Amino acid sequence: MAGAEAIVAAVVASLILSCAAFTEENPTDRRVLVLLEDLAIESTHSLFFKSLSDRGYELDLKLSTDPKLALQRYGEYLYDALVIFSPSVEKLGGSLTSEAVLDFVDSGHDLILAANSTTSQFIRNLAAECGVEFEEDFDSVVIDHLSFDDARDAKDHSLLATKSLIKSKVILGAKEIQAPILYRGIGHVVSPANSLAIKVLTASSSAYSANPNAVLASPPALTGTSIGLVSVVQARNNARILISGSLDMFSDNFINSPVRITGSTERFDKSGNQEFVDELSKWVFHERGHLKAVNLQHHKVGESGEPSMYRITDHLEFSLEIYEWTGKNWQPYQADDVQVEFYMMSPYVLKTLNHNGKGKYETSFQVPDVYGVFQFKVDYKRLGYTTLDLSKQIPVRPSRHNEYERFIKAAYPYYGGAFSMMAGFFVFGIAFLYHK
Amino acid sequence: MRLRICCPAILSFSSKTQIFALGLPRTLAMDDARALVTSLRSAYTATPTKLKLIDLYVAYAVITAIVQTLFMAVVGSFPFNAFLSGVLSCVGTAVLAVCLRMQVNKANKEFKDLPPERAFADFVLCNLVLHLVIMNFLG
Repeated sequence: MAGAEAIVAAVVASLILSCAAFTEENPTDRRVLVLLEDLAIESTHSLFFKSLSDRGYELDLKLSTDPKLALQRYGEYLYDALVIFSPSVEKLGGSLTSEAVLDFVDSGHDLILAANSTTSQFIRNLAAECGVEFEEDFDSVVIDHLSFDDARDAKDHSLLATKSLIKSKVILGAKEIQAPILYRGIGHVVSPANSLAIKVLTASSSAYSANPNAVLASPPALTGTSIGLVSVVQARNNARILISGSLDMFSDNFINSPVRITGSTERFDKSGNQEFVDELSKWVFHERGHLKAVNLQHHKVGESGEPSMYRITDHLEFSLEIYEWTGKNWQPYQADDVQVEFYMMSPYVLKTLNHNGKGKYETSFQVPDVYGVFQFKVDYKRLGYTTLDLSKQIPVRPSRHNEYERFIKAAYPYYGGAFSMMAGFFVFGIAFLYHK
Repeated sequence: MRLRICCPAILSFSSKTQIFALGLPRTLAMDDARALVTSLRSAYTATPTKLKLIDLYVAYAVITAIVQTLFMAVVGSFPFNAFLSGVLSCVGTAVLAVCLRMQVNKANKEFKDLPPERAFADFVLCNLVLHLVIMNFLG
């Protein structure tokens, strides 16, 4: 009896869970699994969790070593996003291995990973798989002698107050963050060859990464603005990963504290941490910057149906609709730099699409004088936006025998010559016959 | 009547020059060329009018062919079939006219027994076939 009830409960629960899941029509994540290394984090980071749950996320806060942890059951994922706030964990509990976490991300789900000065090798490996390499030395933290918050610093200048943010309205929101952001933790590097990983918050040029308790024997390996503090990665399947070297950046303590950078007279009552983590979490969980392209159409100028084939030198019109998800609904996306290519091994035509303000992008061009199998390609990769990669194949045929011009202008003298000879022959014939 | 073409044109260029009152250097070659042209002209005026008519027709055809060739030299041979058709219509009809002239010329002993009407009929038929082919090839 208890078994049957449990089965019914499981079925009902899975139905409810699937209604609240992340779908293509509604891409914001819903169910978030939060792994904490210590249940006290729930209260020390309560403002961050509260802002998430106020926006409608279902948070499932668990201890990271909980043996009953599972991301998927019977092949279906139970959560849409994962937050790992357990920097020092050596091994996650339950069925969560680093492969399981990476598969979760590879299947298109989002991840927030926070580290601090006690970060374990496990977390460092996980971050390295995502493209972000933390400082190798386990004892090093990011130190800045010129840009630290002197009110609360423990004299080693490792509590940074930094404002070097990336300039992106998509990732960080429309409003610029005025107050500096407090940060205490380790730094990382992102390979410049990696086009998918972006450093959102970098250290100032006077920062370096070293052990604060030891004398510096040789120049530090990581210095200046190449130290990333918070990075995001947008994978090719549009999964978003946020990696931060400071768990304290999310904490209530840092969110509520006033900031004053040493040496500057400006004092801010509240640090920029709340806005920063809120806007970033909105971006990571697909509340912003998620595009969809639908309704790719093309037709010959003057006709309305989509032909199965074009002829060379035809004039055609191409149109596309692009929408952006606002967290609640789809709004038209407005941009002037979406381009379409008419491509066969190389683009024969490249045109920028014009939009009408309601999300419909269109342009018209002439098919080149080359026949073959072409593709309409729209390849749109912009910082902070999901990638749009569409292509539609269309053959282009040469002219039929009755589609050429009837009389060639360049041949008019020859036509004239031949006809004038005929006329001349006729006149000559008459003259010759009737001449006496 | 066969024109007697003397060989004054093949004379060696003499070193004897006389400056005329006009200031033009007058060589022996020029004298002979002038004599040639005069004798040609006087011989030609003696030909029958019918033959001169044919000659005029041939000249017209050749000029038309040359004009078309010059046009092709400037513009390029793009519709080559049209070019060939135009030029060959001129050349073909010129050749047929020359044949007609030979057959109609009373001084020509070879075609003594050929009635000129027959020659003209041949000329017309051949021209018809020629122009039919030309119209087809003109495109």
